[in-house]
Amino acid sequence: MSDHLFVGKSIPRTIEADKVTGKAVYIDDMKRPGMLYGKILYSKYAHATIKSIDTSKAKKLTGVRAILTGQDIPDVRVGFLRDQTVLKKDTVRQFRDEVAAVAAVTPEIAAEARDLIEVEYEELPAVFDPFEAMKEEAPLVHEVDARGRPVKNNILPLPWKFEAGDIEQGRKDSAYITTDNVSTTWVNQCCMGTSGCVAEFDNSNNLTLYNQTNVIFGHIGRITEYFSQIGLKGKKIRVVNAIVGGSFGTKLDTDIYEFISIQLALKTRKPVKILFDREEEFRALPPRQPAVFTIEQGCDKEGRLTFRKCEAILDNGAYTSWGATTPSVMIMPMSSLYRVPNVLYKATCVYTNNIYCQAMRGYGNPQATFAVETSMDTLAEKAGIDPAEFRMINRNRSGDETPMRLKITSCGFEECINSVKEKLNWDEKKGKQKGRGLGMASLIHVAGGARVTRSDGHGMMVKVDEYGHVDVIESGTDQGQGSPTVITQIVAESLGVRPEDVFLTFGDTALALWDAGTHASRHTFMAGNAAVRACAKAKHQILDMAVEHMPKIIKGGFKRKKRKDPDFVEPELDYGLIADPENLDIRDRMVFPKKDPDHPYFRIPVSQVLRQGLLGSGESKVVVAEAFYDPPTEMLDRELKGNLSKTYAFGTTGVEVEVDEQTGEVKILNLVAAHDVGKAMNPTLLLGQIYGAAYTGVGYGLTEEIKVVNGKVMNPGFRDYQMLTAMDVVPIEPVIVEPVDEDGPYGAKGVGEPGLVPTAPAIANAIYDAIGVRIRDLPITPEKVLAALKEKG
Amino acid sequence: MIDYDYKKPESLEEVFSLLKEYGPKATLIAGGTDVMVNIRNTKKAPEVLISLRGLKDLRYIKKNKGYHIGALTTHRMLELSELVKTELSALYDGASRIGSVQVRNVATIGGNICNAAPSADTAGPLLVLDAQVVLEGPKGRRNVPIAEFFTGTYKTVRKQGEVLVEFQIPAEMGHFGSAYWKHSRRKAMNLPILGIAVSLKLDDETITDARIGLTVAAPTPVRAYKAEEFLKGKQLTGDVLKEAGKIAASPECCSPRDSIRGEAWYRREIIEVYVARMAMLAAEKIKNR
Amino acid sequence: MKKVSVSFTLNGDPVTAEVPVTWSLLKTLREYFELTGAKEGCGVGECGACTVIVDGDAVNACLYPVFEAEGKSVMTIEGIAGEDGTLHPIQTAFLENNGVQCGYCTSGMIMSAKALLDQNQGPMEDEIRTSIAGNFCRCTGYVQIVEAIEMAAREME
Ligand SMILES: Cc1cc2nc3c(=O)[nH]c(=O)nc-3n(C[C@H](O)[C@H](O)[C@H](O)COP(=O)(O)OP(=O)(O)OC[C@H]3O[C@@H](n4cnc5c(N)ncnc54)[C@H](O)[C@@H]3O)c2cc1C
Ligand code: FES
Ligand code: FES
Repeated sequence: MSDHLFVGKSIPRTIEADKVTGKAVYIDDMKRPGMLYGKILYSKYAHATIKSIDTSKAKKLTGVRAILTGQDIPDVRVGFLRDQTVLKKDTVRQFRDEVAAVAAVTPEIAAEARDLIEVEYEELPAVFDPFEAMKEEAPLVHEVDARGRPVKNNILPLPWKFEAGDIEQGRKDSAYITTDNVSTTWVNQCCMGTSGCVAEFDNSNNLTLYNQTNVIFGHIGRITEYFSQIGLKGKKIRVVNAIVGGSFGTKLDTDIYEFISIQLALKTRKPVKILFDREEEFRALPPRQPAVFTIEQGCDKEGRLTFRKCEAILDNGAYTSWGATTPSVMIMPMSSLYRVPNVLYKATCVYTNNIYCQAMRGYGNPQATFAVETSMDTLAEKAGIDPAEFRMINRNRSGDETPMRLKITSCGFEECINSVKEKLNWDEKKGKQKGRGLGMASLIHVAGGARVTRSDGHGMMVKVDEYGHVDVIESGTDQGQGSPTVITQIVAESLGVRPEDVFLTFGDTALALWDAGTHASRHTFMAGNAAVRACAKAKHQILDMAVEHMPKIIKGGFKRKKRKDPDFVEPELDYGLIADPENLDIRDRMVFPKKDPDHPYFRIPVSQVLRQGLLGSGESKVVVAEAFYDPPTEMLDRELKGNLSKTYAFGTTGVEVEVDEQTGEVKILNLVAAHDVGKAMNPTLLLGQIYGAAYTGVGYGLTEEIKVVNGKVMNPGFRDYQMLTAMDVVPIEPVIVEPVDEDGPYGAKGVGEPGLVPTAPAIANAIYDAIGVRIRDLPITPEKVLAALKEKG
Repeated sequence: MIDYDYKKPESLEEVFSLLKEYGPKATLIAGGTDVMVNIRNTKKAPEVLISLRGLKDLRYIKKNKGYHIGALTTHRMLELSELVKTELSALYDGASRIGSVQVRNVATIGGNICNAAPSADTAGPLLVLDAQVVLEGPKGRRNVPIAEFFTGTYKTVRKQGEVLVEFQIPAEMGHFGSAYWKHSRRKAMNLPILGIAVSLKLDDETITDARIGLTVAAPTPVRAYKAEEFLKGKQLTGDVLKEAGKIAASPECCSPRDSIRGEAWYRREIIEVYVARMAMLAAEKIKNR
Repeated sequence: MKKVSVSFTLNGDPVTAEVPVTWSLLKTLREYFELTGAKEGCGVGECGACTVIVDGDAVNACLYPVFEAEGKSVMTIEGIAGEDGTLHPIQTAFLENNGVQCGYCTSGMIMSAKALLDQNQGPMEDEIRTSIAGNFCRCTGYVQIVEAIEMAAREME
């Protein structure tokens, strides 16, 4: 394993040089001939009836090409629960409800026309608190369900319930029990590139959607279904990604603006671009799902967990996107973070007139882990056990099958906890400093795919031309995680070429084979595995060619030499050495016999073989191979159990904080992020994932929140949304634990999301250690800390 | 649709005549970091923008009898000035924490004060440095003490035909020590939840004179006169400063509000704590001279 | 729409733009000159994605009225590599040290770094962090960006 030329090395991101020269084309930069610009008019109320819409003034504006309202397009329901339409016709249920849309020749004209549209509303009673919304007398957010049947209350028909073992038995076995109420709020993904797309139809109404999604094929499914209801059944849909300016979960679902751009393009017969401005990105982009948890845990005298019971209430907002499915991911930490025999977990999603939510890095895991890890600390304290020790006692181990039926294969959990302890000087410092404190929290996450759809497959095509250049048609997407470089490394290694010979095409459904999506930290694992397999096939083809052509190439060489030098005597060679593809190998652009890699005659450039294969004598051949890797995993069953990933990542974050007891300000003195990553494919890139995720985690823990007051986003910009700057220094010390994973490509596991997950609870736990108050409500602002200190007295 | 014209005069006289010509239809623009953002956010623009950037000789930081700072001096110039850093430290603290380097490279101190946001980061420092605002109109100049300059949120005594040309700080302030604290959740790119500026003069350990300026604590930047009075003649001790903080945080000196950036009770707590801390820092500045 | 004709130096070349008075320098660069490296991440000075260098200083092109560019020297990400495409040391360092992930912030980030390194050859870490405090990045946590700028500084010495 150790003699890899590229895998495991910190190869620079040279393949992405366009990103440092300004040449990379993001959706912002994309222009199509005749392209129009679309703008959306949003609701003025959180809940209201639309009495009338007057577009006459807007229509008169020069340069306007189309104005659409709910009256102008088919009344088709879209979304995960089919609970909304593209443009709202009768009722608006949140401030971001799309009421009308304009296409015009410039974005300015489109915006002006939008502002000229007059809408008359009649306000309806609204509800903004999920607990209020569950009450009988609460106003209904939806009067009817997707099929038009009247509904009785605001509770989503999506009951999440997970049960394993016997809670009552667990209670009986407990020496200590604690209960905690914790909550998390809305945070924005803050992709630096805002949402946007360009929709374009050809003359036969086939659609090309230029996009920046991370699930290119997911869009096809949803749009196909939409098409079948608007008279475009059977039309071809192609999704082509621009360079993606950050994703973090935002591009998982097909958002309403995408359907709107499709409708505008259909109407105008021109390509239509919709690009959010930053304010829209804060107001109209579904953020991370907030949640309120009541978590109860018990342990026996020795500190072994006996049971975990947790109920979660999720403010769903007015419609349903992936936010409402975060409970399915929460089941993983709820049931499987630490060994816990008896688990009961229930989540209820409730409609309100707030903004609705979707995925964000970690999906529901950061929220759930905040609950679990808060509870781990309070229970450890009650049991009188050091929290690190408590976690060590209960840690997961290789070979475990968790109550959710996750099969833990490689597991570096123990080492993660230990390295955090060591780096933070835990035993000396914990609980012994005034105003300073230590805390830790851990995580489990999928790291070998996540079977959330029937297929968790990933396709890859590899084409090697007669010059030895390799085109890789990748079905995943690049949103900055470094995949172009990592896949290049794997391809170069597996095919025996150099990274500079490898060219990648990402994110085009017309070229690529199917893929479940670049989400759930699955890309390196899945694409890597697909690449290894596709390259093995391609390599085989090349070696077959080599067997056929190498003798000719070598003998041809001798002939030429002889012509130049009549004294040259052709050496006696054992051509048997190169007669069987099994006996040949390719490395660093050269083909050679395995038994004698430095053979003076049988070591020749692979490009020569490829050229002969195509243009030489004999049957002309090209080298192209594909692989579709779908790991042997399970979809969750009716009980929400199943081994949905081939492998799991573990990690522990430890922090040391200093708290200003007069102002409530928290300073992070040190943050150790220990992650079990399988094999580090590219250590420098891997660190980038850990740093970035940890930083976002600190924001989640301390500063970031979308302030929503009566349904309205009050801080729709970076000025008041407190994402951290470069001056908010967080000293991060990453520790990479590498228990090579047998199923991973070259031993790797996924690591895109984990770094974020345990950061916030680790900070909360450290604050408790420092000042004896526990904040159970994210973000932990100085106000909350100071108020808690005052209350404690 | 937003549409405007622009003028780029090269002398004050030209500015005055343009202001006269266009009256309320014109807006002066210096760095434009407030003006351009306003136009974008409100979707409203004046008929004409009169750029002051042609007035190159209004960019300076000088010391002769007193200190003179040209209205078009950028925050970046203030941040990089040794003179400001050592002798007018509160102003350094304020200017160097405005927005980002990109913003400070163009945004001016004149713009910051004329915009008159309750959160203006140079307002507190200028208040405790006893700055005079020099306004010039076609009929000549007038000086207004900064404490009288703000008349309300985004409102000042500046008349439509006038240009702010200079800030004057008495030479005397060179003997004061001063410091400014911008309280915010993150370290950059933020408007303050609260701003606290303190300057004081010491005779040995006795506070002989003191100024306290608060921003975001009232509709305009304000002085906490009661707390200043309390400090005068007292010894520089933790208890005294703490008491001064309490007075500064009381309704006699300020009237902070709840807003999305912070709650009123928290703002009062911060005033209490940071008046004392900034006073201590200001005293240290004197001692370290 | 009132138009204005503005002449300035763009990446070393004298240019003239005829654009509406209301356009920002950013819009002019992106639309008129088709230099799309600088991005509009917010349009109001709060993200830094639009950072370009004007007369040696990093500025937010989104807030910079185009008429103020008259007579100035404007440098964008497209103008910092060598004529033969050789990358500037900062660009190389960003690629080598993973200072770029999604890349959306990168043009602005590199221009802020360049303005710093042109004025300060051996910056301390806090000076580097100050110089990029106006450039938000969601991907990297800034660590490897700061390291990349340090690397470039050493390279440029
Ligand atoms: C991203 C960003 C971050 C910011 N961060 C901060 C911050 O941290 N703290 C802070 O205090 N401010 C901040 N600001 C606000 C702004 O940068 C400052 O107020 C700045 O000092 C304004 O100066 P300017 O030269 O850009 O003013 P302009 O926008 O040009 O003008 C502001 C106002 O003053 C008037 N004016 C300007 N100069 C004169 C003059 N000489 N005479 C008469 N009237 C004049 C204008 O007509 C206008 O009404 C920020 C702004 C942005 C965009
Ligand atoms: S676009 Fe200029 S700072 Fe964001
Ligand atoms: S690299 Fe993505 S925002 Fe910085």
